[in-house]
Parts: sequence; structure tokens; C-alpha cells
Amino acid sequence: MFRLIFREAEDRDLIRQAQQGNVDAYNLLVSRWEKRVYNYLLRLVRHREDALDLAQEVLLKAYQNLRKLEDIERFPSWLFRIAHNEAFSLLRRKRPENDDIDPAASEIAAALPPGPSMLPMETALAVDAALRRLTPDQREAVVLKVYQGFKFEEMAEILACPVSTVKSRLYTALDLLKETLAPISHRSAL
Amino acid sequence: MSCSPFDLRDSVFGELDAGQTRAVETHARACSACAAELARLRLTETALFSLREEELPRRIAFVSDKIMPPRIWEARWWSAWWNSAPRLGFAAAAMLSTAILLHGYLSRPLAPAPAPATPAAAALIDQAQLDARVAAAVARAVAAVETAQEIRLAKTVRQVEKRYAALREEDLMNLEASYNLANQKMKARYASAMRQAAGAFADGGVQ
Repeated sequence: MFRLIFREAEDRDLIRQAQQGNVDAYNLLVSRWEKRVYNYLLRLVRHREDALDLAQEVLLKAYQNLRKLEDIERFPSWLFRIAHNEAFSLLRRKRPENDDIDPAASEIAAALPPGPSMLPMETALAVDAALRRLTPDQREAVVLKVYQGFKFEEMAEILACPVSTVKSRLYTALDLLKETLAPISHRSAL
Repeated sequence: MSCSPFDLRDSVFGELDAGQTRAVETHARACSACAAELARLRLTETALFSLREEELPRRIAFVSDKIMPPRIWEARWWSAWWNSAPRLGFAAAAMLSTAILLHGYLSRPLAPAPAPATPAAAALIDQAQLDARVAAAVARAVAAVETAQEIRLAKTVRQVEKRYAALREEDLMNLEASYNLANQKMKARYASAMRQAAGAFADGGVQ
């Protein structure tokens, strides 16, 4: 807890210094945020090279626009807003609209369940397959909440939509995931 | 539909305060349906956490050079200068005057050069100068072509590497999926064989 508070305090300091043109401060900030941004993008675009290119683009855009960020406390949601825009811009360019759900994911998911218990690797594959069966909007809501730990208000800011829409997307996704994953997790725990 | 005083999903996602969370837990102890739903939600969350974060293939370090936008006072000064029509007009007139003066100075009649000793020697000097200039021009042209070639080659190599990296990743994913499928089939066959063996053993035992 103390470490988290300390880190946030340091982040604030680094952002302030970077806004005044301190490149080293921004480089340090990048080293703290690049993994989170990369993993968020990877879950959305599902391609490592694309995710890395996008992460670089996002952090460069953040650097160029950092002066416009008035409220430093909003840095995480502001940064992920940029990442969201970049990711969906790529998804729109690369895929037709009716190709949101990965068809291969259903085959993988169908091949997994029969065993009495599953190895951690198999559980991870089942989770990956289950996430791929969600629409990008639903998957993004799960990623922002479960893996990135954002509050609903922050998610609404990132996605530029009302909190009610965020909750609707997340809970629909959760219902779908629960059907597949709760039995698997139960068996793995045995 | 849950009968809990607060949304069970909000409780799992940590969106309730301490008092609300306690109220949900107290309710779940008395309500088996809500307790079961809460357990399912927590199992789902546990399964989701089995997917680990990945490390970056390589570090992002692109701001080693100073690429910040110009400082505010510099931007204002430049903007004010650039947007001022009279100042730009003055600058253009000054440049034109300088060019006219320079032209006048350079095109003035020069003092007559000393006559060459002989026409043959002059021809030799001219030829040598011409050869030197041609050689220099050819060298410059070759260097430019080579540079352009190198840039094109590097770009092509980058594109090919990127394409092969994507293909390799796709192959690995296909391989992983095939392996898992084969693994599951093997497990199913093994289970089936074990069941048959157990059945045969039981039948034999009865007889």
C-alpha cells in the first residue's frame, strides 16, 4: 500500500518534470508504464508486433501532448484513452466489421474441457480462448477492470461513454465468461 | 437475479465500500443462492487471473533525443514573426537587394588573365580540369545511387523481417493449438481405454 502511494507520488513528480521538458523523467515514466500499456494493447489486438508498435506510438503521442494534460491525477486514464484510440483505429483498419469474434477460439475452447482437472497452462489457454470469443468492446471492459484495475468512472473516461454502458459491457462479458470459466476454475481448484 | 442488497459483481470487482462489502458477505452467509453466485464469480475471476502479463519483446526507448516541441516563448516569437506581413515583405525586399548587389559584384569585368604559353598547353590544362570535374560528378552520382540503394534495401529487409515474424508467430499459435488438441484427444483415448479395461476387469470378476 505504502509502496503504491509512493509510486503514485513519484509518477506525479515525473509527469511534472516531463511537462517542463525533462526527457529523462519521461523515459523513466515510460519504463513504469510500458508493460501495462503493451499488455492492454496485446489483449485488444492479439498480435505482439502490432501491440509493440502501438505501444510505441501511444507513448510518443503522450509525450507530444503531455503539456495539454492539466490534471496530473488523470494521467493513467488519459494515457489509456490514447491507447484505446490507437488500438481501435488499428482494428478498424485491419478487420471487417463482422469479424469481431475470433472463430478459431470456439474450436480451441471446445477442445479443452473434458479432463477432470486442468493444468495452469490449459486454464490460461481456456481463458485466452474465452476472451477471444468476446466482442472487442466486451473484451476491453474486462481487460480494463480485471487486468488493469480501473474504477468504473476511469473506464468511462477511457472509453468516452457513460458508466452505465461500461457496466453493461462488463457484466455481459462476465456472464459469458462465467459459463465457461467457473467450472474450469472449480475443477482446477480440486 | 440476486436478492443481495448490493450487486454481487460490484462486490467482486471492489467497487463497494467496506460497509457495503460487509453487508453483501453477511447476506451471502444467510442466502445459499447468493453464496453460490458469489462463489461462481470469484472462480471466474480466479480463472481470469491465470492469464499472466507478458514481458515486452524489447524496451521502448524512443526519446533519447530532444524532440520536445519548442518552448512557449520561442513559439510565440516565431509565430509573431511569421504572421507579420510587413516584416516578411521587408525581409523579402532585403534578400532581393542582396541578390542584385551580389550579382553585380560577381559579374563585373575581371582583369585580363595572362595568356597561355601555347595553345597546346592550354588545351592540356582544360582537358585535365574537365576530366577531374567529370570524375567528381561521376563519384557523386555513384554515391547518391548507392545511398538510395542502401535505403531501399534496408526498408525491404525490415518489411520482410516483419512479415516473417508475423508468419512465425502465426505458425507457433497453430502449433500450440494443434498440440493442445492432440493432447486432449490422447487424454480422451486414454480415459476410454481405461474405462474399457475396467469394464473388462469387472466382467471377468463377475464371471
